Amino acid sequence: MKVKNGILRGSLKVKGGKLIKCMIKLKEGKIKEIKISGDFFMHPEEKIEGLEKALKGVEFEKESIEEKLNEILRDVELVGIDKEDFINVIFSASPVNSNFS
Amino acid sequence: MQFRLIIDGYRNAFENMALDEAMLLNGIPTLRLYKWRPSAISIGYFQSIEEEVNLEECKKQGVDVVRRITGGGAVYHDENGEITYSFVCPENFLPKNILESYKIICSSLANALKILGLKAKHAGINDIIVNGRKISGSAQTRKKGSILQHGTLLLSVDVKKMFSLLRVGKEKISDKEIKAVEDRVTSVERELGKINEEEIINAMIKGFKKTMKIEFCEGKFDKKELKMAEKLRRKYESKEWNFKR
Repeated sequence: MKVKNGILRGSLKVKGGKLIKCMIKLKEGKIKEIKISGDFFMHPEEKIEGLEKALKGVEFEKESIEEKLNEILRDVELVGIDKEDFINVIFSASPVNSNFS
Repeated sequence: MQFRLIIDGYRNAFENMALDEAMLLNGIPTLRLYKWRPSAISIGYFQSIEEEVNLEECKKQGVDVVRRITGGGAVYHDENGEITYSFVCPENFLPKNILESYKIICSSLANALKILGLKAKHAGINDIIVNGRKISGSAQTRKKGSILQHGTLLLSVDVKKMFSLLRVGKEKISDKEIKAVEDRVTSVERELGKINEEEIINAMIKGFKKTMKIEFCEGKFDKKELKMAEKLRRKYESKEWNFKR
């Protein structure tokens, strides 16, 4: 069954060795909060906060998230990772505990 | 093109990062060489401090922790084990392509190591390797029409200490795992034995000079930079900045 509420964590080692991680809080199938971290490069750096903000309230499904990513990352240069890796880490995330409310 | 050279010596982590950012915002083409006292860990802009750093152990060992404005990984800067460089130039001085610009700056450092007699080369995005082992790592950012790249040159390595300060996914690291990392990293001391630091610094200056075809004039921070750095230092000391992810 698809998780709709709770905290998910994901971690992905990408080709070339960089690591990308995420923490997602879900509420009623939507992203309540998301944090993306790792040892990659992104220019300008502050866009990561913009991305996390833009993903708030977005339906937790590939198409909606991909659309937001495309919009925010349009003028962003990624080094060591690519856009697909963001999608992959987000959808590799799994629940960290079973106490969903 | 004329660059300012600042041979800066020891500062703490917060001042070091504040001065690098102030240099970037001020935009005067500069090569700065510096060290860290007390020893410190810097984490990349996008890293989670609690996931990367054993904060309790850092406190116990008197090691500062600071978040950089540049991406990349966590680095342990030992007060006796590293010379750090920061390089600031106008964006149009280097290729627009980030990987290509890394290549030029990293090659300058590789050439410095060649002057010292090492077979050094640029590898991956931002590493320099000697005999297949990493001896230097760098990170770059661009703001207000300028580029800042800062990076390390390892003089000596203490993998055991490094592992005690960084979270590497396990509570206890085996001797075998320490050995595995020792096989992947190296230092000037390991390759050449103990050599005079002045000799290393002179080689670094020459490496940048020859590779980039630039001239250096020794100088210091200007008033504007020092004022900015004072303000920025407070940011780098703050919980708000260091714990923001």
